[in-house]
Amino acid sequence: MKLISKLTLFVTLSKLVVVLLFVFALPYLIGGIARDYTDSYLRQQKEKVLEIVAKNGVNTYLQGKDSYGSYTMLMEEYISLEPTEKGFNIDTIYTDERIIEEDTLSYRVLTHAFLAGDKKYLMEVGKTIATIDQYNRPLQKIATYVLLGLILFTLIIDLFYTRFLLRPLGRIIRTKISNRKFPFNENSVPIKTTTTDFIFLDTSLINLMQQIHEAFEKEREFTANASHELMTPIGILQNKIENLMDEPEVGQMVQERLIGMHRTLNRLKRIVHSLLLISRIDNDQFSKNEAVSLRELFGDIEEEISHRLTEREITMQLNISEDVVLKGINRDLIFQMMYNLVNNAIRYNKPNGNIVISDKISSDGSCGITISDSGIGIPEEDISTIFNRFKKANKSEESGGYGLGLSIVKSIADYHGLTIELSSEVNSGTEFIISFPCNLIQ
Amino acid sequence: MKVLLIEDEKTLAYEIEAFLKKAFYICDMAHTARKGLEMLGVNPYDFILLDLGLPDLDGLKVLQEAKKLNPDAAYIILTARGNIEDRIIGLDLGADDYLPKPFSLLELQSRMQAISRRKFNLNTQEIALGEFSIDLQKRIVSHSKQEVELTRKEFDLLSYLLLHKNRVLTRMQLSEHIWGSFADDDYDSNYIDVHIKNIRKKLSSFGSVEWLETVRGVGYKIRKH
Repeated sequence: MKLISKLTLFVTLSKLVVVLLFVFALPYLIGGIARDYTDSYLRQQKEKVLEIVAKNGVNTYLQGKDSYGSYTMLMEEYISLEPTEKGFNIDTIYTDERIIEEDTLSYRVLTHAFLAGDKKYLMEVGKTIATIDQYNRPLQKIATYVLLGLILFTLIIDLFYTRFLLRPLGRIIRTKISNRKFPFNENSVPIKTTTTDFIFLDTSLINLMQQIHEAFEKEREFTANASHELMTPIGILQNKIENLMDEPEVGQMVQERLIGMHRTLNRLKRIVHSLLLISRIDNDQFSKNEAVSLRELFGDIEEEISHRLTEREITMQLNISEDVVLKGINRDLIFQMMYNLVNNAIRYNKPNGNIVISDKISSDGSCGITISDSGIGIPEEDISTIFNRFKKANKSEESGGYGLGLSIVKSIADYHGLTIELSSEVNSGTEFIISFPCNLIQ
Repeated sequence: MKVLLIEDEKTLAYEIEAFLKKAFYICDMAHTARKGLEMLGVNPYDFILLDLGLPDLDGLKVLQEAKKLNPDAAYIILTARGNIEDRIIGLDLGADDYLPKPFSLLELQSRMQAISRRKFNLNTQEIALGEFSIDLQKRIVSHSKQEVELTRKEFDLLSYLLLHKNRVLTRMQLSEHIWGSFADDDYDSNYIDVHIKNIRKKLSSFGSVEWLETVRGVGYKIRKH
């Protein structure tokens, strides 16, 4: 789930919970507030009554009678005074139900005992609380509507604001992570934002990529220079050996040794050549504007390699059915790539084995070339490293340059934006599928 | 044939010189571009072998200058730089061939021979080889006017051996010439032997091929006086 979805979901849920809590707590809150208000109102009434009694005497109310009782017109309030024998310490407020003219009404009642003249009186001041309860439901309803509306409103604001806040992150992901191709050649432009976390993330990424780029650049430069520097002494040695082999006084034994030296030197030459080729490919030193027919390409490869097929008695089947023409490629490199794969298919095949090369056009217009052999296969643990430099499927085999054959394939494929799939089973064969995207198909 | 070798790597230059002298070329050497151009101004040469990586002047500029001084010579570029642009520019500037370092001296001589035929119309006559005659220009082997059919690779192999006659060529040298950078690296394989066997089989139905010798443990050679 994306960060913005998570944030929105969380904010919505937390707001809903708060609102629900509030709406459910509303009756209690209002009840409590109303009670407090009523209680203080009753106390004020009590003070007033006591004041009047103190000023004018209790008779103001009693007017000669034993007790006094008075309701307001709608029985919302009442006051009563009556003589009592109970103790003086009565001064409470409680809720009580009274039946008045067949209506049961809830009252909040304050009782207070006091002395007037030489007589003890009990005063009751009551106020109905039914009116308060009536308001609860509509209040709850209105509060719910208002709050839900507010939630919606704040959510929209939140959504826009978080979107705005997270936009630099999206841009960092888009420009720095998802569409970047190793080794990050193009310059990175810092993202404009005031959020320090994003600035930190962005500069860290830029620095990291810069470091990767520099390390890669150094390696590439080193490979190119080293190969170049190695070529001259290799050339000198080779020419010395060649001249020496033609000296008349060199006997058979020395001659054979010289041939051995020449071979080893040749192996060294091949390795340096391969390294140089890889570094040139990685260095974008090849143009990519040629076109080639796949059928012709494999025809050429077959011609070039037929002596090896014959020697190892391997049959090669070319099933290039469609006449696919590639464009925007480097012919020599594509040839080299396919040649290396076919050559490996021969090298790691069994005598009397076979190789099948076929093509397949997908519905999206891309073209997949499958090269499968009936060879010794590649153990599963080696598959992930097979394209690394100086790795061989068969380590015991002594041969020059072959540690680099598949690295060259990989470099060429990466250079053209091709994908390579590899599946292999030990002792039954290996299958390489090279997919050309539709923009490389004419 | 007079050759001027402009190469700053002295050890390499001496080896090339020794080889060319043995192949009956007259060889002069210059280790800097300035010296080379100076010598070109004084003497006429047939071949100029030019290293592109000279310390005092860019090789391609030297080529342009040298072309002005000696437009009729054949120019072969020798370089360890080996990037494709250099090659294209070099050939555009009028170089006749281009050899990336490290190269085989045999290959150098073979290229020079090809240029001689192409450019100077030399060695165009048919070469006698035992009872056979070989036309390197038309790439034909014939026996008393009757053509012997050889494949492209078989002819390449035969003409390379002929060019370096009386010299033993190893299987590796032969396969490097025939397959170039696609030469196999398992040198113990017998592709060359198979090709030689086929050549012998095809030719021996017309006449004797005893001039094509197998040198045990080394390779093959054509014996010719």
